[in-house]
Amino acid sequence: MTSQDTYAAGRRTGTSVPHGGRSAAPVPPPPPPALPRRGPGGRRALATVFWLGLVAAVLPWWLDTPAGSLADTPDLLTGAGRITGLVAGYLLLVQVAMMSRLGALERWVGGERLSRLHRDLGATLLVAVLAHLSLIVVAYAGLEEKSILGEVGSLLRDYEDMVSAFVAAGIMVAVGFTGIRAIRTVLPYELWYHLHLTSYAALLLGFGHQVSNGAQLFEAGPVRTGWIAAYLLVLAALAWGRVIAPLHFNLRHRLRVADVVAESPDTISIYLTGRRLNQIDVLGGQYFRWRFLNVGGWWQSHPFSLSAAANGRWLRLTVKVVGAHTADLRDLRPGTRVWAEGPSGTFTAAHRTRERALLIAGGSGIAPLRAMLEELPAGAALIYRARTPADVLLHPELDWLAQARRTSVWYVIGSRHDPGPRQVMSPEGLRRLVPDVTRRDVYLCGPAGLVDEAVRVLRRAGVPRRQIHLATFEL
Amino acid sequence: MRRAVLAITGLAASTTALVVLKGSPGTSQAGQDLPADQASVAPGASGPGVTPAPGPAGSGPAPSTRPSAGASRTPDTKQTGVTAKATTAAPRTTTTAPKPSTRTVTGPTVTYRYGSLQVQITLSGTRIVNATGLGMPQSGGSGLRSDDVQARYSGTSGEVVAKQSANLNTVSGATYTSNAYKQSLQAAIDKA
Repeated sequence: MTSQDTYAAGRRTGTSVPHGGRSAAPVPPPPPPALPRRGPGGRRALATVFWLGLVAAVLPWWLDTPAGSLADTPDLLTGAGRITGLVAGYLLLVQVAMMSRLGALERWVGGERLSRLHRDLGATLLVAVLAHLSLIVVAYAGLEEKSILGEVGSLLRDYEDMVSAFVAAGIMVAVGFTGIRAIRTVLPYELWYHLHLTSYAALLLGFGHQVSNGAQLFEAGPVRTGWIAAYLLVLAALAWGRVIAPLHFNLRHRLRVADVVAESPDTISIYLTGRRLNQIDVLGGQYFRWRFLNVGGWWQSHPFSLSAAANGRWLRLTVKVVGAHTADLRDLRPGTRVWAEGPSGTFTAAHRTRERALLIAGGSGIAPLRAMLEELPAGAALIYRARTPADVLLHPELDWLAQARRTSVWYVIGSRHDPGPRQVMSPEGLRRLVPDVTRRDVYLCGPAGLVDEAVRVLRRAGVPRRQIHLATFEL
Repeated sequence: MRRAVLAITGLAASTTALVVLKGSPGTSQAGQDLPADQASVAPGASGPGVTPAPGPAGSGPAPSTRPSAGASRTPDTKQTGVTAKATTAAPRTTTTAPKPSTRTVTGPTVTYRYGSLQVQITLSGTRIVNATGLGMPQSGGSGLRSDDVQARYSGTSGEVVAKQSANLNTVSGATYTSNAYKQSLQAAIDKA
């Protein structure tokens, strides 16, 4: 650790620091050229598929319903009930598909964005299900001149598959309400998780009434066939993404812990080795979900970014010890088998929109940025915020990268209220440090407070929103 | 969360729009092309608009791209033992003034999963004023379905009289019964 000017944001040009005696210390190869850019094409294609699917779900109703046939209120309500039912059935499929961990989804959209979309779409799905249920009940009650409760009773008694459909709706309501952030934070995580798993049951329980009572789906024909095919397709995606692909990956690469190294008093790096590591298609900045198959940890899966780009010889994750699970990682023995699912994420050099980048890291948030630096074009800039000099991680590597990839690195040390950091984390300070900041992609990774503040400052400095990339595991 | 609110609002708005577009009887001729509002639900949708066959009482069933329940004159291949061929009627040209007298027309017996039925309609001139299903099964689950269908379709204030055609909303939970009813009804209307 070289000494730091604690309160000054000083530019450090890289000096090739000879590495101390670490067995698994990286000896970096000559830097490869920057990654070719991957545009948002994949994501746009998926969005197009989503909208086309939505149209295809509602179109049968449009074609089946003669114009002018919805004369009175019950007819109108029935129509609305059928539309919301079709939409709900479709959205439920999309919800499950988004969580299927398919490689294409994880790479094109990224797990974090998928989680956000899943939450928003979940709220929409809940509303669609409740609307479908209440519209149909009210409409049929009106048509048959029964009370609402009497109609619910007759639906449950006389119609095929309606009991399981009501159960499915109940499950979805429970899952939806516990997904609300305020409620979710007070529930134990395991309870929330297992309740959420029952939504697979809702998928299957809700299916019966769609094809036995659905006005657009009860008849054999292309619509019904397509609907059933969509369900089978999603189940296949689920099996592939959650079971087959991870099995294939882990049988192929057989990852094991090689070494655990302390980077600072509260941060460790875990080095992994395995077979055919040169064939893992991972970009710097992406993450895997890891299970360490030792006595206490096999049932927990945690996402950690790689803290070095793929090199074909080892993988490394750099983890800050914050809780019981991460504390246990300190005691990992070399040779422990590791189960990994991934890679996932769009927080990579390939997703840049400009040729130059500014990276802002806070504490252990340096990990994905350190991996990305190897793949960004030369001329990037890195601002590293840390509370004390001891919190600066991977320092020798950063200095080496600064030289090898012509990266400007600023270590900004101190609390956020100290004059140095306060000056850097302001629109004027940023512009002084990086004059062309508005023409760069900005990658942010660190504690939520720092990231939020940095986004505000960047927006004030005039950086367009689409040039700001965030890595956050917090929903 | 902003996105969720947006999506829910969009869902409500587009559902309302779709139902209103289909619902207003005034649009039977004019509002047939997919309206621009469709874009809110379906960016880039270009479904074929449904054009009703111009009939004297606007009772022509709409040809849709697939034989749909109640909107087709082709015999439903799913039904078994259909004893009457549904005639593919050309649009009737009413040159003679209809006699303003009531008469009953009975459709053919249609056999379906739970039994068989015949639909009898009462006409005043060309207007249907009453309808009823005859010989419908009366016991167990089939009976319940018969009752549901009768309650919804038949009678002087049932759906047949309201719609003046065989384009009836399928009674949920009684799809086979509904289909048989509509088939016999269609044939009766063609005969009338």
